[in-house]
Amino acid sequence: MPDFSLTSEQESLRDLARKFARTEMAPHAAECDKGPRFPEEIYRKAFDLGLMNLNVPADYGGSGLGSFDQCLIVEELAYACGGMTTSIIANCLALEPILLDGTPEQKERFLKPFCSEYHLASFALTEPSGGSDAASMRTVAKPDGDSYVLTGEKCFITNAPHASLYTVFATVDPSLRHKGVTAFVVPRSAAGVLPGKDEDKMGHRASSTSTIRFEGVRVPKEDRLGAEGGGFSLAMRTLDQTRTPIGALATGIAQAALDHAASYSLKRQTFGKPIAEHQAIQIKLATMAQAVRAARLLTWYAAWTIDRGQKGTLESSIAKCFASDAALHVADEAIQTFGGYGYMKDYPVEKLLRDAKLTQIYEGANEIQRTVIARELLRTYA
Amino acid sequence: MEIVVCVKPVPDPETRLRASPDGSALDTEGVKFMLAGYDESAVEQALLLKESVPGSKVHAVSFGPAPRTEEVLRAAIALGCDQATWVEAPAGAPGDPMVAARALADVIGKLPHDLVLCGKQAGDEESGVVAAALGELLQIPDFGCVLSPRWDAAQNLLTFRRATESGEEAWVAPLPCVVGLQQAWNDPRTAKLPAILKSRKAPIAHASAAPEAGDHSVGERFELPPPRTGAKLIEFKTPEEAATKLVRYLREEAKVFP
Amino acid sequence: MSLRILVVGEAQNGRLAGSTLEAIGKARALAGPDGVVGFLAGPHPEALADFAQHGVATVWSASDPRLDEVPVGAISPFVMGVAESVHPDLILLGGTTFGRDMAGHLGARGHAPVATGVTEITRVEGGLRVRRPIFGGRATETRRLEGNRAVVALRPHAFPAPAPAPVSPEVRPVATGDIPPRWLAPKRTGVDAPSAGAGPGLADATIVVSGGRGVRTADNFHLVEELAASLGAAVGASRAVTDAGWRPPSLQVGQTGRTVSPQLYVAVGISGAIQHLVGMVSSRVIVAINSDASAPIFKVADVGVVGDLFQIVPALTREIRKTRGLA
Repeated sequence: MPDFSLTSEQESLRDLARKFARTEMAPHAAECDKGPRFPEEIYRKAFDLGLMNLNVPADYGGSGLGSFDQCLIVEELAYACGGMTTSIIANCLALEPILLDGTPEQKERFLKPFCSEYHLASFALTEPSGGSDAASMRTVAKPDGDSYVLTGEKCFITNAPHASLYTVFATVDPSLRHKGVTAFVVPRSAAGVLPGKDEDKMGHRASSTSTIRFEGVRVPKEDRLGAEGGGFSLAMRTLDQTRTPIGALATGIAQAALDHAASYSLKRQTFGKPIAEHQAIQIKLATMAQAVRAARLLTWYAAWTIDRGQKGTLESSIAKCFASDAALHVADEAIQTFGGYGYMKDYPVEKLLRDAKLTQIYEGANEIQRTVIARELLRTYA
Repeated sequence: MEIVVCVKPVPDPETRLRASPDGSALDTEGVKFMLAGYDESAVEQALLLKESVPGSKVHAVSFGPAPRTEEVLRAAIALGCDQATWVEAPAGAPGDPMVAARALADVIGKLPHDLVLCGKQAGDEESGVVAAALGELLQIPDFGCVLSPRWDAAQNLLTFRRATESGEEAWVAPLPCVVGLQQAWNDPRTAKLPAILKSRKAPIAHASAAPEAGDHSVGERFELPPPRTGAKLIEFKTPEEAATKLVRYLREEAKVFP
Repeated sequence: MSLRILVVGEAQNGRLAGSTLEAIGKARALAGPDGVVGFLAGPHPEALADFAQHGVATVWSASDPRLDEVPVGAISPFVMGVAESVHPDLILLGGTTFGRDMAGHLGARGHAPVATGVTEITRVEGGLRVRRPIFGGRATETRRLEGNRAVVALRPHAFPAPAPAPVSPEVRPVATGDIPPRWLAPKRTGVDAPSAGAGPGLADATIVVSGGRGVRTADNFHLVEELAASLGAAVGASRAVTDAGWRPPSLQVGQTGRTVSPQLYVAVGISGAIQHLVGMVSSRVIVAINSDASAPIFKVADVGVVGDLFQIVPALTREIRKTRGLA
């Protein structure tokens, strides 16, 4: 029989994340959203407590957690602030390709120094020409003797202005489409690496996002991950791992929205009684509660599947797609519950809608998630 | 310095308290037990002393039932205690602080102990007598309501202050001694994730308390106060009116006016 | 069969401490005037006389001046020696730092059940029944202390001071020749009395006025202190105030500070987070002054003023001073 209870170890991890989220992140969420401000001091504290680099094995200085345990932590962090959580877990996304296709020597060389101190990293796949259409990328990696020369531009890259390490996907031959895509590890310090200015975003404003231009950046062969042309598959396998925690992130935002709406509905009085006694609000809260539960359980199920060693593409796509749509819907209904006050920036709920929106777009837009779900699903009927 | 720190699993301070169905004790269903309050501060103090005196070790000891006592000891290890011993409370243990003190003294007596640190009182039953009882049982000086203990290596003495009704006393004392710590940090260290994972596998020594002979205190009833119905709010147009009404309330209704 | 009670006293500034007087009052109520004897350590003739002034004729006096400077563990053997001749059913103490420490020693040494912070004592079949607050005053437990002897430290201010009832004193000296060196090695090197004019200490006070984050700056905190002075009250602070360094941590009331249970607690600009509430919720009367009507403090307060404390508190201070005829 499935057992939904957490082990004492899982409770300790969740409690650690919750305490950090409530005491260090939450008090600054509104201010960083407004600024916008990139709260490096909070990210440093997250690193000190071991809340970064969750997916990296302990041998290389990470926390070595499986998908489920990561999800427990990510949901707690996102409850306090989706934007800060995005920057914190962006390291996991950036380092996952090294974990998947890096040689033991590369893992040692890249991961150990990176994880031993506070560092940020970025996963650089998306380009102006395509995010979902990754295979159409135009950043080229021209073989040149014992290295490659990278030229091109990535955009919407989380942490880019602050990262010390980028995992970059570039093509050795654009005409090969996805068969040309190759992955590289590029340090910020390499000549020709030019991160751009922080974008002015709708939400996740505590997280920093920008373009990165590569102007003739020389990358030694030893810094290529896997084989030439293996980059597209690596990117897809990476997203297979990182999709589920996004479900947890969206769930955290949704839970926060539900909590705000429910407690407000008990205090706010109209027509002589708390609005929680009006059926219209009750129906909203019921729908929201169902959505949050479902988001969490789908995420947990996907995480459990992945922790059992399965690819989990279908389950993680379902989780990410459902949870992000749920977060948007729940945040929207939370604003509606607050009425006019919900529309004011003084109240915390409008931020939740702005933060929820991104979860439908990044880490695989939900349109793509749906085609993936359909494809994986139909495969089981073939 | 060999430091022994005594900790007790207590209900989460934010727990909503409920009486058990028969009204005799706290209903522990769904209650989370943890290291909190003065005990959490005692662990922090033990670790600070350990860090200030090279070569020191901290041994956490706790008396209580499974599984909460073991969990609290794991929390202490995750924070940095080197070792831990769990003294299992016999079934139906009366919840008497002297029983705990005797069980702890029995174990501590067999461990190296230069300094025995306790929180001033546990966050639940708040007797505040265990440190003194340990002093008596171990036959070493004990000091309660201690603030700012420091080790003076030059003089080989523990220096500290005690908060008493007559004011703050300054003391020096050689080791061994027992300290009941009133000092509380508002920001004790948080266990880091790798330490939490590691603490799950740490060995915890297990001892059973000898069955208790002699007289006890036994819990009979657990009662919650009648619920406070919320403040009566004073209506006023000017601050002076508020002041007059409040003073009248204090004199005539509450009768607390000096 | 009447009870025999040994009251272990404590001297404060040469006189018997208020907490000891409360214990004497309760002991006499339980055992009748003839059932109570006293014990006092240290050379304090006036404190000794206070016993007889309040109806306790026989007092065992360990007047060795060294006993004023030693850890409690050095004194407990002498108390136990007296207990061996007197055979008290109950050893009663005030709930002070000394009282609780001594209670722990006596319970451990005499293998007797101990209860501290007690607000009610009654005789029952086979022992005594006590009531005491727990969980920071958020609950009360009733316990039965079984056996031939119990040790109880009362909650301060829970019992009234007794009316004087002078009797002829009978002082029995206690020999204290041999104090083992390990009890003499610790040394008290100084005492900082609570600063004059600063009002009673938090632990003892019948009225406490506390300020919180609503006071906004360190400089504004004087409003709280002036209100306290007008009431003859002790000053307390929330954790936000001590964390910000506006006032020292010794003033902090709350889960990681002090727990107080005065007759009157005035919370100024304090929101009432649970960490603070556990430190004061068992106060008899709670008054809250806060500009936020939804602050949790109003749930536990008896009476509240929702308004601007910068106007209300000075007005209140003026009104109190006027009523009390202060300058």
